[in-house]
Amino acid sequence: MGSVSRILSLPARLLAQVPGLGPVVQAAATSVGQKILMAVTGFLLCGFLVTHLAGNLLLYAGEERFNHYAESLHSWGVVLNAAEAGLLALFLAHIGLAISTTAMNRQARRHRYAEKDSKQDPTAIPGGASSWMVVTGILIAFFLILHVTDMRLKMNPVVDYEAAVQDGTMSEFRAVHLVLTSYATSWGYVVGLIALGIHLSHGVRSAFQTLGISHPRWNGLLDIAGQLFAWVITLGFLSLVVLAALRSVS
Amino acid sequence: MARVASEPLNSRVPDGPIEQLWDRHRFNMKLVNPANKRKFRIIVVGTGLAGGAAAASLGELGYHVQAFCFQDSPRRAHSIAAQGGINAAKNYPNDGDSIWRLFYDTVKGGDYRAREANVYRLAQISNHIIDQCVAQGVPFAREYGGTLANRSFGGAQVSRTFYCRGQTGQQLLLGAYQAMMRQVQQGRVEVFARREMLELIVVDGLARGIVVRNMRTGQLETHTADAVVLCTGGYGNVFYLSTNAKGCNVTAAWRCCRRGAYFANPCYTQIHPTCIPVSGDYQSKLTLMSESLRNDGRVWVPKKAGDTRPPSEIPEDERDYYLERRYPSFGNLVPRDVASRAAKERCDAGYGVGETRLAVYLDFQDAIARDGVETIRRKYGNLFHMYQKITAENPYEVPMRIYPAVHYTMGGLWVDYNLMSTVPGLFVLGEANFSDHGANRLGASALMQGLSDGYFVIPYTIGDHLATASLPPVSEDHPACQEAVQAAEERLSRLMSVSGKRSVDSFHRALGQIMWDRCGMARNRSGLETAISEIRDLREQFWKDVRVPGSAGTLNQSLEKAGRVADFLEFAELLAIDALEREESCGGHFREEHQTEDGEARRNDEQFMHVAAWEFHGVGEEPTLHKEPLNFQYVPPTTRSYK
Amino acid sequence: MSGEHLSLTLRVWRQDGPEDPGRFETYQLDNVNPHMSFLEMLDVLNEQLIESGDEPVEFDHDCREGICGMCSLMINGQAHGPDRATTTCQLHMRRFRSGDTITIEPWRASAFPVVRDLVVDRSAFDRIIQAGGYVSVNTGNAPDGNAIPVPGTVQETAMDAAACIGCGACVAACKNASAMLFVSAKVSQLAMLPQGQAERTRRVLGMVTQMDEEGFGACTNTSECEAACPAEISVSHIARLNREYVRAALTAG
Repeated sequence: MGSVSRILSLPARLLAQVPGLGPVVQAAATSVGQKILMAVTGFLLCGFLVTHLAGNLLLYAGEERFNHYAESLHSWGVVLNAAEAGLLALFLAHIGLAISTTAMNRQARRHRYAEKDSKQDPTAIPGGASSWMVVTGILIAFFLILHVTDMRLKMNPVVDYEAAVQDGTMSEFRAVHLVLTSYATSWGYVVGLIALGIHLSHGVRSAFQTLGISHPRWNGLLDIAGQLFAWVITLGFLSLVVLAALRSVS
Repeated sequence: MARVASEPLNSRVPDGPIEQLWDRHRFNMKLVNPANKRKFRIIVVGTGLAGGAAAASLGELGYHVQAFCFQDSPRRAHSIAAQGGINAAKNYPNDGDSIWRLFYDTVKGGDYRAREANVYRLAQISNHIIDQCVAQGVPFAREYGGTLANRSFGGAQVSRTFYCRGQTGQQLLLGAYQAMMRQVQQGRVEVFARREMLELIVVDGLARGIVVRNMRTGQLETHTADAVVLCTGGYGNVFYLSTNAKGCNVTAAWRCCRRGAYFANPCYTQIHPTCIPVSGDYQSKLTLMSESLRNDGRVWVPKKAGDTRPPSEIPEDERDYYLERRYPSFGNLVPRDVASRAAKERCDAGYGVGETRLAVYLDFQDAIARDGVETIRRKYGNLFHMYQKITAENPYEVPMRIYPAVHYTMGGLWVDYNLMSTVPGLFVLGEANFSDHGANRLGASALMQGLSDGYFVIPYTIGDHLATASLPPVSEDHPACQEAVQAAEERLSRLMSVSGKRSVDSFHRALGQIMWDRCGMARNRSGLETAISEIRDLREQFWKDVRVPGSAGTLNQSLEKAGRVADFLEFAELLAIDALEREESCGGHFREEHQTEDGEARRNDEQFMHVAAWEFHGVGEEPTLHKEPLNFQYVPPTTRSYK
Repeated sequence: MSGEHLSLTLRVWRQDGPEDPGRFETYQLDNVNPHMSFLEMLDVLNEQLIESGDEPVEFDHDCREGICGMCSLMINGQAHGPDRATTTCQLHMRRFRSGDTITIEPWRASAFPVVRDLVVDRSAFDRIIQAGGYVSVNTGNAPDGNAIPVPGTVQETAMDAAACIGCGACVAACKNASAMLFVSAKVSQLAMLPQGQAERTRRVLGMVTQMDEEGFGACTNTSECEAACPAEISVSHIARLNREYVRAALTAG
């Protein structure tokens, strides 16, 4: 455990060497600091979701527009690779922090209650999805592996990429279509995206609170905004699965 | 019944004009060199307003302080439950208040049985307390513009009460607690929680330490020091049912009394008029509703005895607003003792209301009609909520039922002007001493006294003692320490070994019944004599038939209670003896033989203008009465009239 | 007034000491007056246990009017029982029905070890306050009370936070046994008031660090603490603590 945590904390220790960052890194190590970092990484990941969805909505615009978009993205070359590495780091940080705080929470109550009941009004729980964060987080992680495998690496064994490559019709648009119309994979996407929705429905609202963004006058609106964001993103992505299915039928 | 000492007790109040006494005295007292302060160790027992404030202030000065409390944290001391507020002579409202008026009101409110010099000092210090607490971050109520808000309270004709909603005691205590925690962090105060003081260690006539029981482990611990400061609150739980917390007890004070500290005026007990009535014999404590309720509530009973109609069906002209009737100028705002006795008088005469007939109405209909529900909710919302939780009745619609209950004890260990008891080196602060309230305490002045003693008196007076007394080191194996530990040990094993049939609580209940019936709001000779013999019988039974389960070597709440009840059983007798001896009615002490034709208290200044301080000689032995004569140079005694 | 008397089955956690693994014991209690408080009901149980030669159930309590914060108890899985804004001592038996089985457990958190039966050690809270929950002003140092104006609305919010009774229900109810509501109440009170400004940065960093050292969990914003809090402390104070923390992390020494 000691060596593992030493390796895991290596980035933090390196950062602490940067002039001015020492106390910040130290403050980030506490439970509150870690939750704040989770919120920050979470928000950045949300930013990625927005751009990713915006780009993917070009699927509605047809094959040509979408492929053009994909090609121009790929033309960034190293910049794109750096962005992807950054994205990966964000995911890993978010997940690492989740593991760390969850371990802390498990330690904090070693003896569980024989009986435990909520005192909150069950119809109005803004944090209702919170108990699902770990489960949905794990589902999303699996979904990510699937997603990178079949879209980025194009190595999903149940998707037949070969035919398209053979007949020369292979493109990003075609790949997306093939993946989303593969029966098993598309269900994987539906489950993964619903998990994402649930995760966001608590996560966004919770991140506001963790960053101290709270005011009695605005909290109601923040609740709505959090839910709205979560489900607009989720439905946006889900609609692409449906779109692919409709296109394959027609 | 009592031997009377020939020598009067000397309060050691310095000479001079009262306005300058404290200043001059502070100058005349010896100081401890700053470098030497850390060499002195001071024990503070109890961490309420007085104890918390004392521990923090003494720590700040550089003394090595050890603070003890029986609760799991010093923040839980019963000062926390004080609701209404704290007085100060700031005169912020510009309504005619002054140090002199606060002094005058307190002496008069105490029915001319308090020591003038102490009361004057209290009034002087009152202003500094507010400043100190504000600086600590105590969130006193404010006007919108940011200045401190005041309200009138407990019958005062000026608005001098500072408050934090209905939780003033809580906020002041947390202020003192936080100041003390800061000293803990700085290494000057050590806290010993879940410790019960069982003995005072006296070496060569000086208080030099205490024996405590660690309530978690059952171990007895010896702590030695250069002075002991006792801040252990009052003895209201001798009545079993009171507004005190369940843990409040007389043990620490009584143990000191057994070691030579005199106990003063034990018969001065305050019965608070606005408590929620008893509902059944399982009842474990009584809940106070803040006196501030009387600012807007009107007290009444039906004009017809035994009227069982619900209050809403009793028309206006069949209601007897008896306080307004009897005391037209003060009305519902008469002092606590007067209001309590008036309620008892009505109920005894058969006009009581509710299922038990031992209650009167406190009605807010007129106030709600005048100011609107919202205003009333803002002022008293938390109290109404509390009432509803306990009784399941809504006081916005149905008048509250209230009845008097034991609330505060003005008596306590005798102390001189320096707050030192008759055992040199043993200082007594707050409710545990007797000094400032005479025979009756006015509302919002208990918090004032506790903090005054702790923040602003003891830091000066203890220095004088430490600088002048000869204090050779005392180790834990000093014969006096060993003797004290042995005494505590024997007592515990005696309690454990009775192995009778009755629970400790059943004895406590029985004692409470005796005290309430015969030594409560109204007392008389034959009742008190009966009480004394009943207390003795009960005490005898206790030591024959009490059952303390479990062992002494673990957390054992039955054993804790048993020790406290055993002490109450000894102390109760002294209370009754004092009440018997004081052949007059004054403040909280009402002797039926001494009343005017219309039922008001009649003092006897000729014979009883003194403090009665009792020296204990042993259980069942006649105690010796020491008298401290009281002189009223500045506030000439008059008959207290609120008509 | 007096309704039907109740017959209850009590499942009570018994534990002889900190090292004892502990177990549930079941007791039958009849003739419970509905006007009793929950603690008075336990008093009656204890009288019954003493009478039958058993050891009574140890539980913390003191003021019995909801302000000292000494009483605790997980009642049927809910901190201080089913009612909102209520401590166990203010809970009355009229809230239960005859025939009910009531499960009573101590607060469970690694930072609150069980001392005996239902009694736990909450001294971790004292140590958190020691780490900065105060204003450093020695006795005698204070200016006139009105020299520090505090707008009424600010004072009201500070008082909302200051109302915390330190009972630990927030920790008990939180699925992570987090003490954030307790810590934030003090941080928030003092951060709002002008008196607390000087030590603002040091306070929040010190108290949070101590909170972690005591072994409390992290906050996942489920608001279960707010629902369980007898003093109705709002989670908005946690948000303020978070703001204070960000500010302190970016500006501290």
